[in-house]
Amino acid sequence: MSDYIVLVKQVPDVTQITDNAFDLETGTLIRSRLASVINELDSQALAFANQMRRDSGDKNGKIIALTMGPPMAEEVLRYGLSRCADTVVLLTDRTLAGADTVATANPLAFAVRKIVREILKADGDYYVVCGMQSVDGDTAQVPPQIAEELGLPCIAYVTKAEFKNKRFEFTRIISGGSQVVAARKLPAVITVAKYEYPVFATFAATRQASRMEIIRWGSDDIQATHIGVTGSKTTVIRVFPPGKSTRKCEQVGDAKALAGLLVDQFKSSGAEAGEDADTQTSRYTLPGRRASLFDRSFEGTKKENEDFEILAGKLRELGITEISRIDDANKEKILAAAGEYFHKKALEDMIDGLQLTEPSYEGEVWVVAEHSDGTIHPATCELIGKARALADSLETRVGVAVAGCEAEPMAKELIAAGADNIYIIEDKLLSVFDPTAHRKAIADAISTYWPQIVLYAATPQGRMLAPMVSYRVGCGLTADCTGLDIKDSSRKGQIGILLQTRPALGGNVMATICTKNSKAQMATARPGVMKRLPADESRTGKVIKHKVELSKDDVSLKIIKTELGTGEVNFGADVVVSGGKGMQSRDNYERLVSALCAGLSKKLDTQVERGASRAAVEQGFIERVHQVGQTGTSIGPKIYVALGISGAIQHMIGIANAETIVAVNSDPNAPIFKQCDYYIVGNVEDTVPQLVKALEVE
Amino acid sequence: MANNRDYNKVSVLIVGAGPAGLASAIQLKVLKPEIDVCVIDKAPGLGNHNLSGAVLEVEALHRLLDSAVPDWQDSEAAGDVLARKVHEDDVMFFVGKKLAFNIFFVIKLAKTLRLSVGQMIHKGDYIVSISKLTKWLGRLAKDLGAEVLTGFAAEDIILDVAQASSPWKHGQACPERSRGDGRATKAIGVKLVDQGLDKEGNKQPNFVEGEIINADFILLAEGCDGLLTEKFIEKAKLQRQSPQLYSVGVKELIEVSSEQYKKFGDTRVVHAMGYPLWTPVIGPGMFGGGIMYPADDEHIAVGVIVGADWKYCDFNPQDALTNFKNHRFVKKFIDGGTVVEAGAKMIPEGGYYAIPRDAETGSIGKGNVMILGDSAGFVNMLKIKGLHSAIDSGIQAAKAIAENLNNPEAAASRYTELIDQSNIAGEMASAKNFRQTVAKFGPLQGMPVSVLASLLPKFKTECDYEAMTIAPYRHKPNQEFDKDTFTAMAATEHREEQPSHLTILDSDICRTKCTPEFSSPCITFCPAGVYETVHDEVKPANPSNCLHCKTCQRKCPFDNIRWTVPEGGGGPRYKQM
Repeated sequence: MSDYIVLVKQVPDVTQITDNAFDLETGTLIRSRLASVINELDSQALAFANQMRRDSGDKNGKIIALTMGPPMAEEVLRYGLSRCADTVVLLTDRTLAGADTVATANPLAFAVRKIVREILKADGDYYVVCGMQSVDGDTAQVPPQIAEELGLPCIAYVTKAEFKNKRFEFTRIISGGSQVVAARKLPAVITVAKYEYPVFATFAATRQASRMEIIRWGSDDIQATHIGVTGSKTTVIRVFPPGKSTRKCEQVGDAKALAGLLVDQFKSSGAEAGEDADTQTSRYTLPGRRASLFDRSFEGTKKENEDFEILAGKLRELGITEISRIDDANKEKILAAAGEYFHKKALEDMIDGLQLTEPSYEGEVWVVAEHSDGTIHPATCELIGKARALADSLETRVGVAVAGCEAEPMAKELIAAGADNIYIIEDKLLSVFDPTAHRKAIADAISTYWPQIVLYAATPQGRMLAPMVSYRVGCGLTADCTGLDIKDSSRKGQIGILLQTRPALGGNVMATICTKNSKAQMATARPGVMKRLPADESRTGKVIKHKVELSKDDVSLKIIKTELGTGEVNFGADVVVSGGKGMQSRDNYERLVSALCAGLSKKLDTQVERGASRAAVEQGFIERVHQVGQTGTSIGPKIYVALGISGAIQHMIGIANAETIVAVNSDPNAPIFKQCDYYIVGNVEDTVPQLVKALEVE
Repeated sequence: MANNRDYNKVSVLIVGAGPAGLASAIQLKVLKPEIDVCVIDKAPGLGNHNLSGAVLEVEALHRLLDSAVPDWQDSEAAGDVLARKVHEDDVMFFVGKKLAFNIFFVIKLAKTLRLSVGQMIHKGDYIVSISKLTKWLGRLAKDLGAEVLTGFAAEDIILDVAQASSPWKHGQACPERSRGDGRATKAIGVKLVDQGLDKEGNKQPNFVEGEIINADFILLAEGCDGLLTEKFIEKAKLQRQSPQLYSVGVKELIEVSSEQYKKFGDTRVVHAMGYPLWTPVIGPGMFGGGIMYPADDEHIAVGVIVGADWKYCDFNPQDALTNFKNHRFVKKFIDGGTVVEAGAKMIPEGGYYAIPRDAETGSIGKGNVMILGDSAGFVNMLKIKGLHSAIDSGIQAAKAIAENLNNPEAAASRYTELIDQSNIAGEMASAKNFRQTVAKFGPLQGMPVSVLASLLPKFKTECDYEAMTIAPYRHKPNQEFDKDTFTAMAATEHREEQPSHLTILDSDICRTKCTPEFSSPCITFCPAGVYETVHDEVKPANPSNCLHCKTCQRKCPFDNIRWTVPEGGGGPRYKQM
């Protein structure tokens, strides 16, 4: 008999987001402007658990909904009770607030233990079912970290469960396809990427739900080890509005005008080199290498930079050239001259900071390689490019950790991409990606060599592996970074730390985060954002073999079937035409996308490939291998045409490198219109044939 | 869940969480705190399906809340909802696209002469958002212990099922048995809509059969053209002396500049007659007018209300809205502004003679079922207001129930007595022929006649849909109205995979009669662009755009469209309408 512990989260309703929902100064969300709802994927997880219970044929299995949040998070538990939850638990305590993913996963895992012990009183035949990620955090880290804390297998990005031979087989999304897997042992954590049949609330259950007791636990009840701000391993330094899109966002009147623009854009493409989305103005230099002892121009925040500049100016005026000469009398002088800028305590912090010249972290800059069948994922090379720049700034080496069955042949390519040291962990059990086995191998290598920075690609695999590894070695992790910079925070005694910048709240704000209480700084970075270096075959590097003891018990999943998309997909094509949920049906997709592909191919005399949003793939309009976006492929064609695609951030990051983005959507408020170059408000069924026709005449 | 059966039974079930239904819930909890009162609404959240001008006459609301919440006037919510008292009251007459005359003095004169048209004066009333009003009343009802459940859509009302009959099965028609004596009709409950069917009506894995909620008393407070109300009228054989007449209102909330807002004024209401709906002699000749009301955060609500008996087959109320917005008088206040919300809804305008009553007893409802507010048609066309009567009718229904807890079947009669003794009856009577005279004689002749309308005998009027002709609307704007943006601004949403809640009864009529003769007016007048020609056939192709205004089922020239309720939680999401 299986029971189901479903994790739910209350989030701001970002689908109803309006411009006035943000404080433009700080970029923070004004919570009262948005309604609070259950995270959509969590409601799907609830429905998924309900379906699993039904499919298993065991009606006695319990569904327990668990949430952590302020007292008002009770609402999402009532939501659960009015649908299919039998019992609900609210984890609420002031001391739990301000948590990062580690300090969220940890208490939740302890709560799961308590639920198993006290409510299920069972022997451990249960599933923890979660939504893949939350719309506000978007990290997808909490479920794998809960699995890590509980020592359970984790099956991420699940879209389907089938009950066969008395166990569940799960279909999950992997890069370029799907895979059917089963957990070798229970319990297990699964994260749901898509389940289209919501559970409807019934009148009776809703009335009953409002009268049912909610179990409330505080920190003392669960005795978790990492909670709240103090238990967190990352800290947000700054939240700010995203830079204005450099896209033109021009509305085009009709298909004819658009056809003309498409042809013009294609002809003029490549004229301006694409800018690196991750821009670091000037390369970081360690304090000891700077021209002046008092040069602190690499501070994390603008305010700090300015303060240090003022201080340096005052020191110059006083003719002080050595830190040791700053005595109390001088301090008084400085304060007298610059008292309007900072008070005494701040000045002392800054002077202390000036004495620091050594970086706070030591070790190499690592990239964890992703590969399949001996082919290195392009994102790995992009990360090596970034790691190279970071390592040069920090005057250290670039290491790449590769876990696999036969990994050594890949070393050459990795070195050519910019790596110095290749750490090879070879084992037959690592031949295919198994989260538990791989996390053990990588974590072991990290805790042997202790690099100061570890980067992973934010691919489905990386977003699964990184949280488990980081949790296992006790380090903070920032997900889906689009910017990675080395900076100082001298006043806090931090030199040469990694600032990790990422979008949050569906791309509506940017947050800069740094690691704390950790021996290494870890981040996953979005594919396609960092730039790879030109391969340099003449580079040399070292191959270091690292041995990890693995046994069969370390492999958590049984892979039953892997389906990588049939047919070749050429996402290197100059033009990609994608269809989304707005295509309505497979027939429409087939007809309209193909017609436009043919039209563009003929007119522009180039290769045109078909793409799709995740929603379109889930609807079965086309095979998964055509999926563009975070869980699909990141592409950078000259022209990208999005038909009936709303423009969810997960899709948009996959096309960030496209030169020109064109969108057709019937919803005038489609987010994609704010992130594309040209668009038509209109339904695809009318617009596409007009466009095809216009291309013929053009 | 173990106790399902218990939870499907309530003492008082109120269908519709609008001003009428919620007023009833509040009043009931004041009078009889011990009984369970449950309000259901198809909207996703409180206030989401409520749209009105609105100018509110507050007496009934005061009466209700004074008894329920002693210090309600001091609450923040009260201050927020009732922030604007009308100080300036302009009645304009538009001639063409540029000229505007203030004819308020005429109304004032009428008032001095004690003519019923004098009721049109709004001074002392409040400019409110009905969405906000409803949200507030819903919270108060909950605080008093009523259950207010949104997202539950009722599709049928069930009468008189014998206790011992076999359980009702999905797919069968709802079982009921009329006793034939026309007296003791009793409703046992309502059936909620099935959920989890796909477009073709197949059961999906999450299918849930619509529950039956049993209740001792049922209040139908669904608003205009209520689904259950109309079914009940038919099943219980209630009658209207003359058919219900409707108007269609389309409204936009526009964010304007501080200067424009200041110029317009924070406490001013503008009602405009004439262009673009009515130009004496040369036409067009439609009943209705435009409104402009100030709203929170420097917004101005702009709307047009048109009698649904328009005769121009290519007319769309939104075109009138476009014209109205482009009139020089209006434009100066809203030019360059941003539409932040939009919506459409019908108004029952038939008045006194269109109130559904039991043929013998005259009760508004029957037995244990009472019909409230807009569902009953309590709109005073002289005031162009119904909110206050809706609230009042809610209060009266609550009283009728409280007095008849042990004798539910006497409630409707008592309710009707109380209505007759209340302001509602007097108002309805004084306005009783106003709308019909205009409908009968047209605005030019009808308006002057209507001054004395209440003195005239009842005369026969036709249904709105019968008025359609092949005449074109002469002020058709050059550009087609952008319905996509309009529906997006109404934030309407339905689960895509469900059977269409709109049905064309006989597509032959569309093909052989309507399209050749009138060029399928539904495609034009539906404010949400639901209807489209697909492969030469007119279809409700985009039911998920529907704004639940139901204009289609009242204006299809062949009475060939039916609206039913989609899964709960669908439809528009009005916030400040």
